[in-house]
Amino acid sequence: MGGSGSRLSKELLAEYQDLTFLTKQEILLSVHVVLAPHLVDNEQQARSGNEHTGKPIAENTNSSPLSTRAHRRFCELLPQEQRSVEESLLAQVPFEQILSLPELKANPFKERICRVFSTSPTRDSLSFEDFLDLLSVFSDTATPDIKSHYAFRIFDFDDDGTLNREDLSRLVNCLTGEGEDTRLSASEMKQLIDNILEESDIDRDGTINLSEFQHVISRSPDFASSFKIVL
Amino acid sequence: MLSDDHVNEIIIEVENVSSGVQSHPSSNQIFQEKVLLDSSINMVSSTSDIDVVDSQTVSKRNDQKGNQVLQFSTSLNESMSQTLHSLECMGIDTPGSSRETVQGQKLIASLIPMTSRDRIKAIRNQPRTMEEKRNLRKIVDKEKSKQTHRILQLNCCVQCLNSISRAYRRSKNSLSEILNSISLWQKTLKIIGGKFGTSVLSYFNFLRWLLKFNIFSFIVNFSFIIIPQFAVAEKNTLQFTGLELFTGVMAKYFRDNFINPHIYSGGITKLIFCWDFTVTHEKAVKLKQKNLSTEIRENLSELRQENAKLTFKQQLTRFSAYVMAWVVSTGVAIACCAAVYYLAEYNLEFLKTHSNPGAVLLLPFVVSCINLAVPCIYSMFRLVERYEMPRHEVYILLIRNIFLKISIIGILCYYWLNNVALSGEECWETLIGQDIYRLLLMDFVFSLADSFLGEFLRRIIGMQLITSLGLPEFDIARNVLELIYAQTLVWIGIFFCPLLPLIQMIMLFIMFYAKNISLMMNFQPPSKAWRASQMMTFFILLLFFPSFTGVLCTLAITIWRLKPSADCGPFRGLPFFIHSIYSWIDTLSTRPGYLWVVWIYRNLIGSVHFFFILTLIVLIITYLYWQITEGRKIMIRLLHEQIINEGKDKMFLIEKLIKLQDMEKKANPSSLVLESREVEQQDALHLGERDGSLDLRFRRSVQEGNPRA
Repeated sequence: MGGSGSRLSKELLAEYQDLTFLTKQEILLSVHVVLAPHLVDNEQQARSGNEHTGKPIAENTNSSPLSTRAHRRFCELLPQEQRSVEESLLAQVPFEQILSLPELKANPFKERICRVFSTSPTRDSLSFEDFLDLLSVFSDTATPDIKSHYAFRIFDFDDDGTLNREDLSRLVNCLTGEGEDTRLSASEMKQLIDNILEESDIDRDGTINLSEFQHVISRSPDFASSFKIVL
Repeated sequence: MLSDDHVNEIIIEVENVSSGVQSHPSSNQIFQEKVLLDSSINMVSSTSDIDVVDSQTVSKRNDQKGNQVLQFSTSLNESMSQTLHSLECMGIDTPGSSRETVQGQKLIASLIPMTSRDRIKAIRNQPRTMEEKRNLRKIVDKEKSKQTHRILQLNCCVQCLNSISRAYRRSKNSLSEILNSISLWQKTLKIIGGKFGTSVLSYFNFLRWLLKFNIFSFIVNFSFIIIPQFAVAEKNTLQFTGLELFTGVMAKYFRDNFINPHIYSGGITKLIFCWDFTVTHEKAVKLKQKNLSTEIRENLSELRQENAKLTFKQQLTRFSAYVMAWVVSTGVAIACCAAVYYLAEYNLEFLKTHSNPGAVLLLPFVVSCINLAVPCIYSMFRLVERYEMPRHEVYILLIRNIFLKISIIGILCYYWLNNVALSGEECWETLIGQDIYRLLLMDFVFSLADSFLGEFLRRIIGMQLITSLGLPEFDIARNVLELIYAQTLVWIGIFFCPLLPLIQMIMLFIMFYAKNISLMMNFQPPSKAWRASQMMTFFILLLFFPSFTGVLCTLAITIWRLKPSADCGPFRGLPFFIHSIYSWIDTLSTRPGYLWVVWIYRNLIGSVHFFFILTLIVLIITYLYWQITEGRKIMIRLLHEQIINEGKDKMFLIEKLIKLQDMEKKANPSSLVLESREVEQQDALHLGERDGSLDLRFRRSVQEGNPRA
């Protein structure tokens, strides 16, 4: 762990710590996770094996097999690619890799999350810094304000800045899943969206804008604890 | 007010945009107007956003001006980017970069006067990408360095203070880093959260918190009680340190979760917007989706039937069912208490006749059986009573269980303090300590048996025998109550047996693993959404109110009213426990160096006037806060109405505008036919489904846009 820390320069690490809500440990862990993708698969297998037996994995990430293997792999990667650390940090990682992470794999909003945080012009890949942004917003210490801001953007499927009926119905379909028996019928959907708009649309214009969304969220104290992804 | 200052600035920007638009001759008049109105709408819709945002920021506790400005600029930023986006869609080249920098300059200007720590926090709070945040920081640092040349050398006192605070913060950071790295059970909790969600996770977090508290309490006890007793037989007066520090934590929880006027249920909206992102197991997610769908359907059907009123007869039957259930449950609780009391009384004689060592465990065994069986009886009442909201059911069940447990502890305390303490036995404190220890141990054994055997059996029944039942769900409430019950016993016992926190620590540690294994093997994720934070507030309230204050009362009675045993313990020979403190103060008053302690004791702790004044001050502050809360509720209501009214006004004016435009169109049909077709094409191409929202925004703020533009 100390070795890989020297790969990521101290200034860069301190800068990331200043600009995001993540701790040093979390930043270093995400370096491993994003830039050593093959090991994510192995870790996944190991994890699912452990889950069946109900055994907890080694608690100290500093000594876990992932970080030592990742470190070695990372060292192997770097000289071959002949890229500096900064360049590799700016490399674009395609969505499939990010979506294969165990934390995001089963999430119904995974594509929206990747699209919202992507800064590439084609919006189909994430750089390492985008990934850090993602983790920062979903971390424990992020303020509810920033969480609700990004939640709004994730739920805004057509990216127009408001949640209209179309957005809301797509949202509910994401939440209830793909199965035929779990999808809501058209009349149920209409009743549901009417109820949501009645509760949250303050100025009665048929859409929910950011302020109304944040107002509704501020009344549910559970939001901050459920809008969390920990690596 | 903030918005007034910035509305003028918005006006300027609207005019700039319009001039930018007019520089492109290809756009036609109506198009320009639409664009102008569009941008002004976006600008001004952010004004109305600001109003709403402002009322929120005013009510927030840290009313930093910086925060307000930043929130303003974020909403402005949004609307700016939307304007630019919509303008781009209409095929107009915008002088966009100048827009961004004007607004960015405002942000930078607000960041410069802040201290560096606040600045970092403010930048971190911006919903921007990493690159933008980095640039922002660079620019602000550059501007700041330009300015600092003008600032004179700071006072050396201030410099000193700065360096001290910086060193303190650095040490705090490193300490929290170390604590994070040795955080207990991090991975396990993540797996539990991934499979079962935040609600079950809250139970395990509570367990971990209790363990940490017990570790702290043990360290305090050990260092202040055990070590001195080994070294010198000194009187101990510092038992309450741990318990008193707890009050501070309580107060913070109350302030955060109780004196907050916003906590009323959001009903169905909360279900939709609060998806649990911590669930990562694929099967668990599918299950959660299914459960959510069922719950939404149930809620919708409830809402449809809400208006159905019950007949008088139905209401009467329901009311009588409630009353009967309450009478029966209270009766059962009282009967159990009486049984425990008489058994305890008999116990002494029973022990004298039977010399079997296991016989001492009879009383704890009976108490644990009661704690196991009676809650099951209470949950049977569910078949008789019907509640409108399932949440009420959970609360009522909880209240009954709490009443049962607290009354059992109460009756035992009464027995200990009245009978055992006054019975003239030697070392009665040790007897009580031993009793408590046995109770704890038996309770622990029963919990383990329940986890391993009981839940296992329930799973076998659910899966093999009566397959319709399925896997059971983790009953969070019951388990949390058991933890609170055990903790109450520990607190009572600390006075009589100072090593109890150590035992509780070991038991909690084992309990975590037992519950975890049982959870993974025997349970399925919860089907109903569980309001975790409200329930946690309720549990902390429980932990504080009957449990902690009850313990304090018991200990107060012990210390002020009871006579210590003559031969055992550090208080031997004194007429009352409290005399130890009196004699300590007396010894201190003979030494000249410690007279201030004596003064504090005599005038602050010992005098009635001080507590009276303190209570009065606390009552006044509570009243003030209450009035502030009421006032803010009224303000929220008024602002809400204002927003609705403004919406109506705008709708009205928009319709008028559209009528005027139609009249204009009819007046000049020929010259505008070609251009209107262009407009329609571009509308269809670029606005598409956003037409609806644009129209509405169009309608929103024409009133502000027109007279000012």
